[in-house]
Amino acid sequence: MDVLGTNYRRNLGIRHYPLLVYALVPLVALVLQAWLPRVLGGYAWFDLPLVVTVYFALVRRNPIHGTLLGAGLGIFEDALTQHAIGVNGVAKTVVGFLAGSVGVRIDVEDHTIRLILTFLLSLLSSAIYVFIFRILLGLDEQWSWLAELLRAVGNSLIAMVLFPLLDRTQIKD
Amino acid sequence: MESFFVRYRNLLVLLAVLLAQIIGLAMQVRHTDSGRNALDSRDTAGVRLIRLWANELVTPPEQFFHATKLGAIGLWQSYIDLRHVREQNQDLQKAMDRIRLEQASLLEDAKQGQRLQALMDFQEKYAYKTLAAQAIGSSGSDHSRIFYINKGQNYGLQPDMAVISADGIVGKVREVYPRSAQVLAINDQTSGAGVILETTRTRGILRGNANGQPQIEGILADQRIQPGERVLTAGGDQIFPRGLPVGVVEKVVRDPDRDAFIDVIIKPAAHLNQLDEVLVITSIQPRFPADQLQDMATSESEKGAEAAAIQVQKKESEIRAERLPGLNNPNAPAANPAATTAPGQAGKPGQAPAAPAAVTPAPAPHLLPTQHIDRFTPTPKVKPQKDQDSSAPAGKATKPATKPEVKPHQPAIPRETF
Repeated sequence: MDVLGTNYRRNLGIRHYPLLVYALVPLVALVLQAWLPRVLGGYAWFDLPLVVTVYFALVRRNPIHGTLLGAGLGIFEDALTQHAIGVNGVAKTVVGFLAGSVGVRIDVEDHTIRLILTFLLSLLSSAIYVFIFRILLGLDEQWSWLAELLRAVGNSLIAMVLFPLLDRTQIKD
Repeated sequence: MESFFVRYRNLLVLLAVLLAQIIGLAMQVRHTDSGRNALDSRDTAGVRLIRLWANELVTPPEQFFHATKLGAIGLWQSYIDLRHVREQNQDLQKAMDRIRLEQASLLEDAKQGQRLQALMDFQEKYAYKTLAAQAIGSSGSDHSRIFYINKGQNYGLQPDMAVISADGIVGKVREVYPRSAQVLAINDQTSGAGVILETTRTRGILRGNANGQPQIEGILADQRIQPGERVLTAGGDQIFPRGLPVGVVEKVVRDPDRDAFIDVIIKPAAHLNQLDEVLVITSIQPRFPADQLQDMATSESEKGAEAAAIQVQKKESEIRAERLPGLNNPNAPAANPAATTAPGQAGKPGQAPAAPAAVTPAPAPHLLPTQHIDRFTPTPKVKPQKDQDSSAPAGKATKPATKPEVKPHQPAIPRETF
């Protein structure tokens, strides 16, 4: 169980995916995130771009890749709202960086660890969002931590289904 | 130096990306006069470009998903409809025979129905000019109650147009793109709509709360506001026409920040979370059908003709009044021009209304000097010499002469007259 040791880190392999998966999966996540809440009504407790960011940052084990992917998806999400562009961008940038950094050190093949990581990173993303909105920008907005908790649970459940599916698309040596 | 950048490459990239975004955020927020920060109500060119790109990227797949969903629903419903079609066909044949017999009696009802339908059509056409659109997507975030519709600049949409549904108001157009538009729902925290409670006539501003419920904030505590009261648009925001249904009062809660104030939570009339079709009010001027416009023009012209006829009548009556032999001496000087003005001239249109004419006093009767003064002789009470001055106005002069003040049980004649 040498998941945090240097020997394990040295033995880690970096996964590769077809270019189409890199391009399509984030785009589909964004489109579904924009479309599904219209269908599900007020029960859309998930953040698909965040789940995709966490997945690719974890399996690529590259903090820069996670940072850029998180920033891109976050800015894209902000662009679809009326809020300032960059709030989600900063939150997902940090999440992508952390997921990429953690992916180097721990066993990301373990589904339980992925689940817990997704849950924690979702909460962290919400906390950063609140921090930027209220403290950094000084904007007034009401907040419901229950909704954020539900979203974190929803992200974990989606990750439980989505991650094994995406694992199948990797290019095997 | 090279080893520094290589060693801290990850961290440097993170800092650079974060710094760029934070600078971008700072450029979008401004400090208001009230001491609070607020986002710019209108996007800058750069921000708008990013939003446009995002919209152009997401809208086509969303429209595809939406069309697929509608197609799937239609296919399923067609399948359901086609089941048992043979049995239904036989039933329909029997029903048709029966219906033919009933047709004659139903004809009259049908005519009545057509008349009612015509009335309903009239009512619909009287409403504001609207454009139907379909909701195709959303912002995807609980913090932003934004959704997208499949009509944009191509259909003449503009920002700040009201969006409604058959049940009530929905929101307003925030941004318009070539083929789509962004709608800010009324349950968003940054929205605002002027509303009025129907019974208590309390006015307020409607905006969303953290749970996505529209609420009226900052109302002075009022016991009369009860759940179930209807809420309508007040019409003062220049976006929503007055009197559109907003919803009903769901509950009244105390304002957490101010003791004397309450927040009124509203149950929206429109199903904000599951909207499929909406109407965009493209013009708040009432739209009249062609035949009604013709009726109004006819009415206006008739009104004008009637006014002209009244003027002619007045003029004729004046001419007749001048030609008739009068009792007054035409050579006598006019003592009071206002009183001598013909009644028809006083109210001529275009002239300032004449001041109320003073009541012309009747000429004071000339009294002969009293030969034998007795107790019934009218005499002024005080200072008779001055009051009887001939230069005084006739009205004033006659008053003491016609109405002497006589105290009961006392002789009205002054002692010195004897």
